[in-house]
Order: sequence, then structure tokens, then C-alpha cells
Amino acid sequence: MSVGDRLWDVIVIGAGMGGGIAGRRLAEAGLNVLFIDRGPMGPRAEEQALSTEIADPAARLIRGYWPDPLDAGVAGRQDRFFGALGAGAGGSSVFYAASLERPARHDFEDAPGLPHPTGGWPVGADAFAPWFRQAETLLNLAGTPDPLSPGEDAALRAPPPLSPAGAALEGAFRARGLHPYRMHVGIGYGPDCRECIGHKCPRPCKMDGRSAGVEPALATGRAEWLGGCLVTALHADAGRVRAVEVRRGAEVLRLRARAFVLAAGGLGSPALLLASRSELWPDGVANRSGMAGRNLMFHLNERIAIWPPGRHGPDTGPRKSLALRDFYAVEGQRFGLFQAMGLTASYGNIVQFLNDRFDRSALRRLRVLREFTRIPALIAARMLGEAHVYVGILEDLPYADNRVRVPAAPGAIGFDYRFAPELLARRRLYRRHIRRGLGGLRSLFLTFEPELNIGHPCGTLRFGIDPARSVLDPECRAHGVANLYVADSSFMPTATGVNPSLTIAANALRTADALVRGFARLPEATP
Amino acid sequence: MTTSPDNGIAIVTGAGGGLGRALAVELMARGMAVAGVGRDAAALAQTAGQGGGRFVALVADVADPAAVEAAFARLDAGGLVPRILINNAAVYDHADFLTAPPAYLDHAMAVNFGGTVTCTRAALQRMVQAGGRGRIVNVATFADLAPLPGSMAYSVSKGAARIFTRALVADIGDRLPDIVVNDWIPGALATRMGIAEGIAPETAARWGAALALWHDRSLQGVTFERDREVIASRSLKRRIKDRLLFKPAPVARRLA
Repeated sequence: MSVGDRLWDVIVIGAGMGGGIAGRRLAEAGLNVLFIDRGPMGPRAEEQALSTEIADPAARLIRGYWPDPLDAGVAGRQDRFFGALGAGAGGSSVFYAASLERPARHDFEDAPGLPHPTGGWPVGADAFAPWFRQAETLLNLAGTPDPLSPGEDAALRAPPPLSPAGAALEGAFRARGLHPYRMHVGIGYGPDCRECIGHKCPRPCKMDGRSAGVEPALATGRAEWLGGCLVTALHADAGRVRAVEVRRGAEVLRLRARAFVLAAGGLGSPALLLASRSELWPDGVANRSGMAGRNLMFHLNERIAIWPPGRHGPDTGPRKSLALRDFYAVEGQRFGLFQAMGLTASYGNIVQFLNDRFDRSALRRLRVLREFTRIPALIAARMLGEAHVYVGILEDLPYADNRVRVPAAPGAIGFDYRFAPELLARRRLYRRHIRRGLGGLRSLFLTFEPELNIGHPCGTLRFGIDPARSVLDPECRAHGVANLYVADSSFMPTATGVNPSLTIAANALRTADALVRGFARLPEATP
Repeated sequence: MTTSPDNGIAIVTGAGGGLGRALAVELMARGMAVAGVGRDAAALAQTAGQGGGRFVALVADVADPAAVEAAFARLDAGGLVPRILINNAAVYDHADFLTAPPAYLDHAMAVNFGGTVTCTRAALQRMVQAGGRGRIVNVATFADLAPLPGSMAYSVSKGAARIFTRALVADIGDRLPDIVVNDWIPGALATRMGIAEGIAPETAARWGAALALWHDRSLQGVTFERDREVIASRSLKRRIKDRLLFKPAPVARRLA
């Protein structure tokens, strides 16, 4: 029986961190699963980084990059650019830096002095904790416990020792009363481990949506892979999704399953629902609330170069080294995690940094000038030497007018976003806290304008109890659609102060478990 | 800097004579197991006899895709993983274009260009499958830049092969940086296809074998002429810009 004729137990739409992990859990629970994705499986041995230099859509897709530029209206300015989005087995996560941190308690619920912006997630920190622990085990986390989160039972392997420079920086942080810990990363640290920060890992060493999701799922023998699928619409009757419509080359397929897991990402998932309009669903499938696509959040990045005290040789220790939660929330304000980016401020990445700035500047049409970013880069590299680049994540809050657009064409992604005045005010405070906290350490902010982390979109299909104010129920099943679950960052009512990957994975496990529990009650689909 | 590809096999096409035979013998002398591809079983047997190591004779015409696939399937069956491919097989068809038959170029295109493409594809698939590590060396010439009279078939087909090398690097260089691809121009050789006063094939083979055994990502797409890296010539504008940017002038690397 061909893929198109078969009735699957579950079709997973999008095979990134969320879809990969959910699909694995479902297949391991005995369900047969079809992964569909816009991108390819791609050879296991690939190592490419996520590049914005390659513009040809076919060449991008072959490499596992989202093929098309995003249409973005940021602060009222219209722009088209390639986002940090993957396509294919593992999605964006194969390119990530494997930072897998738990959010803080106040990210889920009200905490003393920190009321929750939405009144709290429908699932609290304690109720969520078991799935975080399972995700940590599945993703093979290395790191040490955070001294500022006592009682958290994160499942962690011992990380490799810090380099002398890393240890000097750790000591300098401690001397300033800060609380560094070894950041939680899904990196294997086996022989010849290169950490694979920002590029595909050629071995199943870095744990991502492919190595910890799609590949183990396929190994069960109950899951199959169908790449090259441009998903155009979900076909739903009054209470159930019947089929997903897919363009694959010249073919149009209607793929059927008893249940569907939507995991096309914080931008892609709402876009698909908004595109799936019919008489029954005039605003898109599962969008009776009108909330699909709204409350789009990113994080802001505050990058800063820090020089470890003392003189050190070439740094050969682990690059994803330290994280601190000292600035995560201060004086009733929500900020976020401060962590090593895994970069040293060498010539090459200062060039990249300046080029990024150049590409976003008014000079971006003058390509010739771009080469000359190398001069200040060279001067900076000579002056600055081996700095470690850190990034402070700043939590973005939900605003209904920050939203994913109704797609202009199948697969097209567009969004509109404005910086809230309170966000910009919090940003100034955050930078002040960081600067004060690092007092006396040689450091230099590398971020000047507010910088959206386009790789962290979330919040666009928030989960909640009230069907009028949320898209998903507390189990991440769509309100009013019995067989549609969502397993990506869209579900998050707030962005939290950490990279979203671990939260996505933990919730994908939780959602998959709910699907398995409810599966027997789902009716057989009829053609 | 020099690391040899581990427990695999080196495939040399056109291994029944000339430079191919010398390369096979040299690689065996350096400890590699070698699979020699050629049309003539007796000639391959002679190559095997001259080398001191393990040699697998693969009788196949590189211009015949089915035969090439069958040859690689024999390696698969023996559990042998291609680590090195040297695309050496070539023909030199002389003709006067004014009187040559309409399909005159086809034969050289099928062997010199088609054979390179077919063998590369077969080896590449296996290298990717086996973890994405390997070396591909395409034996190249200056004939495409300065064709000699009567050498159209050779010049055009070898020129196409050089473009193929660059396109291959564009396709896989960023994705599979441990599959390192080079063009190597051995120079005019004292072989049947070459000139009497040319370089002894044994001498050239030492360079070729050294290049094939040199596994370094920074060699990706680099052309070597004889034993020396060819530095891409820089335009005046480029040179001025590099000077402004304090970039050191590149230094050609040599084959040991």
C-alpha cells in the first residue's frame, strides 16, 4: 500500500525538535507514524552550518535550510530575509547550539514578587517537571545543577573539565558573587567531539530532533519518513481533521491518519492553520478563538564579549561552558538566562557579527562595502584577543498584535512584530544589571539595536483552559478538534527566559503521552 | 598534517598501464589496498604483479555505467569501503574536426568526462554512507586552457571534467567537508598517451599518491600541478584589497 493510500495512526507534520520527539514517543508506544516535512532526510554525515549566503531555494532545501525568505514587518519596516529556520529531519534543531535549560518556576506560574503575565500556564512547574526530567534523559544532557534553582532534579551527566580560561572566568564570576554553573547541553563529548555549535553534527552525538527523535522513531520499524512535502492545508470537518494536503513534486497527496501532530514550528504551525480555511472553519482550522498566530514572541539577544582574567593559551576546552541565572529575574522584572554562546571573539566571528549588523543596516545594498567589515574585525580581534562571547536572553511578552500573517502562498511565512515600550525599557534595565554584575571584568556589548532571536518564535497557538482565549487545551490538543495535537513552541503562553528547545521536547513527550492515552477513543477515520 | 584514510580501499581507474598503474603500485607500496579499474584483465594482472600489496582487479570500462556499478558492487560484496578515488582513466582521440565523424567527441566525452562522473558518483555514495570521509583526486590537464591541434576530443572532455570538479565542490564542499576533492595536473608524462621526454610515471605517481593520502579539509577544491599547489591568481583589485586588509599572500603547499 502506498503512503498516500494508507491510514496512519498518526501523521506528524514537521520533524524538528517537537515533531521528532513526539513521533519517537508515539512509535515507541506502538503507534504507526508518518513524518512529513518540507525538507529531506539528508545524509547522516553532513556538517553544514545554517547559511544565509545560499539563496537558491532548491540548494537551500537540499541543505536542510528553510527554502524561502521570511516576510517580516518589524517595528513597521517591511523586510525579507532568511531566518534561522531549518527544514528536514531535525528541523532547525540540527543547527542549534544544544542549549537545553529548564525554565524557572516563575515562567510557569505566579511567584513571590513576580506575577505571571498570563496568570500562569495551565500546567504548573511541578506538574511539568517529570517530562522535563524525561526529556533531559532522552537528550543526554551534560551540565551541573544551577545553584539558584535548589530542589530541581535535572538529569545531568558530568561535563568535561573547563579550559584554564573557562575556569578563570568561572572564578571571576564567583568572586563577584555570581552563581555560574555548567550549562545544560545535549552534546555527547565523546572522542573528537567538536560540539557542533551552529552546524549539523555528523554523528548522533549532539542530541536534536533528528538524533533523539526521527532516527530512534524510524528504528522502531513503526515510523516512516516522507520528505519534500509542502503542506498546503488541513482538511477538517466540524470536529476532526480528516486529511493533510501535501504537494510533493508534481503530485498532490491527501494523507490520512486517525490523529495529527502539528509541529511545523512557532511560525509554520499557525500559518498552516490560518491557511486551512473552509466554510466550517472560516478563520482557519482550530481558530474559533481568533488567537491562532497571535501573541508571537521571540527573545531578544544581548551579546557581550567577556575576557577571562589572566593570560591563557589557545582555548581547547568545552565552548558551551557556563550559564548564570543571577540576572534571570531581578527586582520583580523578568529577564532571562545569561550563558556562553560557544564562540570566542576571534577574527572570523567578529567578521560575521559585523556582517550581520551590516546586512541589517541601511548600507546593506552596497555589497562592496560589506567586505570592509573585515578591517574593524581585524582591529577588534587584535585588541580583544580570546574573549568569550556570552548572550543574555531577554524574555519577550505576549501581545495579540504581534502575529503570524495568513500565508500569501502555500508555505509562505510572514509575520508582524513591534517592540513593546516595556520590552525596550526592560532591555535597558537588563543591560544595566549585566554590566553591574560583571563589574570590573573586561567586557564589551556586541549588541546595540534590539535584536530579535528569529530562531525562537513561540506563543502563536497558546494552550489554556478557556477555548475563547487559547487555541489548545492543557494537553495541547486543539480546542474543538478531537484529533489535532500541537507539539512545537507554538503552545507556550509565555516565552520563558531560556532557549525553548528543552521545553519543546518535554512538552512533545507530554503531548504524545496524552495522544496515546486518548488514541483508543478516537474513531476510525473514514475515507 | 598528513593523515592517511584508514581501513579502506583506494580505487584507481585506468590502472592497467601508464600513470594509473604507477599510482596503483605507489599506493600499494604506501600500505593501501588498491582496486584497479581497467578494460584489460591481463594488464590489471600485470599491475597487481608489480605492486607489493593487496590488489583487486575490477575489469570494467568506465564509460559503461552498468559496468562501473557492477565493479563497485564487487567491492561492497567484499566489505571494502572506498576511501580514495583517483579518476585517471582517459583516452586521447586524435582527429581532424573537418573530416571527423559527427559523433567524434562522444567517445572521449564518455570516458574522460562520463567515466569521471560515473565513478565519482558511485564512490561518493559509498563514502557518504560510510561516515562522510574520503578523497577524490581527478587527474587533470592544461589541455582545456590551451588545446593542441587535433586534440579537440581530449581538450573538451577534460575541460568538462575540470568544471565537474568545481561543481562537485560547490555541491558537497560545505555539507561533507571530510570528502576532499582535488584536481591534480601531473604534467606531461613519458607514457603511451604522453611524450617520450616527459616525466617518469613513477615520479608523478609519488606526488599523486601523496596528494590522495593527504587528508586535510583545507585542500578542498585546490588544484595541484605536479607536486605544487596552484594558487588562484588574484586580480589587481583583489591584491590591493588583501593588502588593505592585512591578509598575508598565500603560499603554495608542496607534496612530500
